[in-house]
Amino acid sequence: MSKHRVSRRQFLNYTLTGVGGFMAAGMLMPMVRFAVDPVLKANASGDFIPTPQKISEITEEPTRVDFSFEQQDAWYTSEVTNTAWVYKDENGEIVALSPVCKHLGCVVDWNTDKANQNRFYCPCHGGLYEKDGTNVPGTPPIAKLDVYPTQEKDGFLLLGKAKPREEA
Amino acid sequence: MKWVSQDMDMFLGAREYVDTAVLPLFPVSFGNDIKQSVAMTEFIQLLTIPLERQFKGRMIMLPGHSYLKNKSKDKLLEEAIVWEQELFDNGFKHVFFVTSDSVWKTLEDELKGDLIWLPSIPLAAMDEGARNSILEDQVKQLLQLFMQKWQDDV
Ligand code: FES
Repeated sequence: MSKHRVSRRQFLNYTLTGVGGFMAAGMLMPMVRFAVDPVLKANASGDFIPTPQKISEITEEPTRVDFSFEQQDAWYTSEVTNTAWVYKDENGEIVALSPVCKHLGCVVDWNTDKANQNRFYCPCHGGLYEKDGTNVPGTPPIAKLDVYPTQEKDGFLLLGKAKPREEA
Repeated sequence: MKWVSQDMDMFLGAREYVDTAVLPLFPVSFGNDIKQSVAMTEFIQLLTIPLERQFKGRMIMLPGHSYLKNKSKDKLLEEAIVWEQELFDNGFKHVFFVTSDSVWKTLEDELKGDLIWLPSIPLAAMDEGARNSILEDQVKQLLQLFMQKWQDDV
């Protein structure tokens, strides 16, 4: 008899936990989905973005390319303009560098510091980068400029999401 | 950096690099010049976005100081001085006020910080193409001004 009672209590316990668990899951799941969904979607759609830059017009001199796209930031969609420094390297490969300084995130400019020709210059704390994006030692930045993966479509340049470079 | 939690972590970790504070000044009026005061606020708000983006690592863009347009000049000045004092006391080397309201032009000399006054442009009446190119132009000038001031004070 007493054995029976214990197992009944256990049975009830299990059932209640089970039902409670279902109820909790039923309540939480939509919330989690609701929270995570936009993030997932943004990832899925954030592939290559068209730019107004013609491939044939890219030279060896880094040129500023602005491109806009719709960004899904959680629940808002907003128009974002990004910039890339684009040029052809000595092998004729297209290079697209992010202009965001790896120190504290200012926007770097090409060839604007008189004392440092043919380098990227950050006006905030004097950060310098070589043409290939390598940070110049002795200036604040501690990493190379991020690089955008590139693609071509109908003669125009497409850019992916800028990625940090692996340390050599 | 913007006045948001995410940027604050960065700010606290790199304070010695952030030597500039920017305080936009926004007039508010419900009188005849209501639309004008809105346009001024809007215009400056629009310009501060790319400005902050460009110089993210060196400046903190404050949420801005709104004031009633019918306040006396003395009162306005008094408040602005409290602001700049607070900012200088907190270690900022450069304090910039950015505004479209011309009343500040007449108060400029009494301020220790730098005043950047930009006449507001009636953007609402323009099509998008014209608007963007004008804005781009204004932003360029604004960036130049900042770089100049930084250079002068080195
Ligand atoms: S943000 Fe570029 S050098 Fe500091």
